[in-house]
Amino acid sequence: MADLALQAEVSELLFREARLLDAQRWTDWLELYCEDAVFWVPAFTMAGGYTEQPEQELNFIYMAGRSGLEERVFRLNTGISLSSTPLPRTRHMVGMVMVDGQNGDAVQAFANCQVATFTEIRGQQFRTSSYEYLLRRSGGGLRIAQKKVLLLEAVIDGYFDFYAI
Amino acid sequence: MTQERDFAAFIDDRPEEGIFRVDRSVYNDPAVLEAEYQTIFEGGWIFLCHETHIPNPGDYFTTWLGRQPVFVVRGADGSVNGFLNACGHRGAMLLTYRVGNAKTFDCPYHGFCFNDKGDCISVRSKRTGWPDEFDIGRFDLAPIARIDSYRGLIFGSLAPDVPELRDYLGAATALLDIFVAPVPQPLEIVPGYCVYVSNCNWKVMHENGPDAYHAPVVHRNFADTIAFRESRGSFEGVNKTERGRLTARIESASYDLGNGHTAFWNERTTPEAYPIYAHRDELAKRFSPGQLDWILGRGRHMTIFPNLLLNDLASSHLRTYRPLSVDRTETIIWCIAPVGEPAEMRAARLRKFEDFFLPSGMATPDDIAIVEAAQRASWALESRWTDMGRGSDPAFRIDGPDQAARELGFTPKVSSTSWDHEITLQGVYRHWLSRITRNGEARHG
Repeated sequence: MADLALQAEVSELLFREARLLDAQRWTDWLELYCEDAVFWVPAFTMAGGYTEQPEQELNFIYMAGRSGLEERVFRLNTGISLSSTPLPRTRHMVGMVMVDGQNGDAVQAFANCQVATFTEIRGQQFRTSSYEYLLRRSGGGLRIAQKKVLLLEAVIDGYFDFYAI
Repeated sequence: MTQERDFAAFIDDRPEEGIFRVDRSVYNDPAVLEAEYQTIFEGGWIFLCHETHIPNPGDYFTTWLGRQPVFVVRGADGSVNGFLNACGHRGAMLLTYRVGNAKTFDCPYHGFCFNDKGDCISVRSKRTGWPDEFDIGRFDLAPIARIDSYRGLIFGSLAPDVPELRDYLGAATALLDIFVAPVPQPLEIVPGYCVYVSNCNWKVMHENGPDAYHAPVVHRNFADTIAFRESRGSFEGVNKTERGRLTARIESASYDLGNGHTAFWNERTTPEAYPIYAHRDELAKRFSPGQLDWILGRGRHMTIFPNLLLNDLASSHLRTYRPLSVDRTETIIWCIAPVGEPAEMRAARLRKFEDFFLPSGMATPDDIAIVEAAQRASWALESRWTDMGRGSDPAFRIDGPDQAARELGFTPKVSSTSWDHEITLQGVYRHWLSRITRNGEARHG
């Protein structure tokens, strides 16, 4: 029997994250992440899989610690990054949220996500991913301890940052 | 059909006046791309892959020479062979994965089978429909006319009448010898790679590599972000991302290496951040102080005409380009590192690579955005010329080697006193013109 309360709690967190990203409310979004959170987007291997060992293999993004995300937010706010100025508008569509496991304060969750991105120059683009989350319960609420984003698209058209996947 | 073009009129090259300009229609004229396919991408040496992509017998790597699909395979005898990736029967693509391993290559269309020498070794239903005795050799795969490698970098040419690879690389060989790690330390491709497609002509992308002039402008936000990082915590030693080259005046130089190849270097302001630095005592026994300056003290960047970029600055990588159309370019990028590198060095190398490069990094997206902007504005044909004259003045250029080049032992066509001068691009376009007009400079060095 599924834990419907946990399912609802996890879904709410994932939807809230997506909504904050779309609203570009970076400070509130960062609050969802633990101090030591890992943000990980594996690269593809030439054989067609994903890389699995971030210390030994290439990744699109691998940041251990929320400070890495804060640096990326800092960069967006410099106003002199051509690829982020003006910031692309995004709409996340998070679905298929599933709780994969629970162990004490730790919760594993899965979701699929499609993000529509719009800029005047590139028009509307879609990127599709699977999310694998490790969530941690602290002070009553759930926060993100790890977010792993598995991109569907192995040939990248254009460029992307954390807010567009 | 190729329309007639006066390609020579695309380049306004007046060295005595310090003028070097390129007509912007080279970036958007389909007739130019057609000529480039014929004379450059399907007519001369092109980087294919690294030896460590195909370490074992039967390992193959599929890619393209211009428009033509090809594959490279490690033979049972250890040799490297290359063929058109098209069945000798009805021309279906034989191999559809980027890499793999196979003892024989079976066509997925009619089942014809080929070995690692490209020989057709079996034809399906051979006893019916064919003459009793016939030579199935007529189905053999067409070979890539020339295959050769230098320091693990495998090149191929569909045209047979090209100079020896070593001669084509010329002055670049001395710099390839110390790329990432000085020989005999072998290099490997780090697992994982990235392919991205940009809305620009391949030459706009190619120019962005040797063009260091843009770095303090386009990547100031990167330097600011790294400064922000360092203000909040320790990223010392090998984990430090060097940003001196983006924010300060430092010693540097650039070179037109001939045949369209380029290089630049800049002094490492924090050499201890360079993973090889840990081996300095051992290296000091093998190299002269001048050579050691090159190996440990200088961040290095090179391009091999027309489709290879080697970057050994904050991290280390190979990049290769392929024109998909006049305004679409595919880039493939790999991190490259010494075999057996200590785990913490490897991790630091990867993190610095991911910081800057890839279409998901904190700098490459800005490069892509600016080269795409250059492509869109290439249609501003009423302002016809792209100016590449910086560094032409005799005060900044030396014909032949500067002191640093002498210390490493290579002879560029032109040396420049700064990494951000445009004599490198002049070398690219002079060679480009010689190739596209087939005047023979490339074929005879």
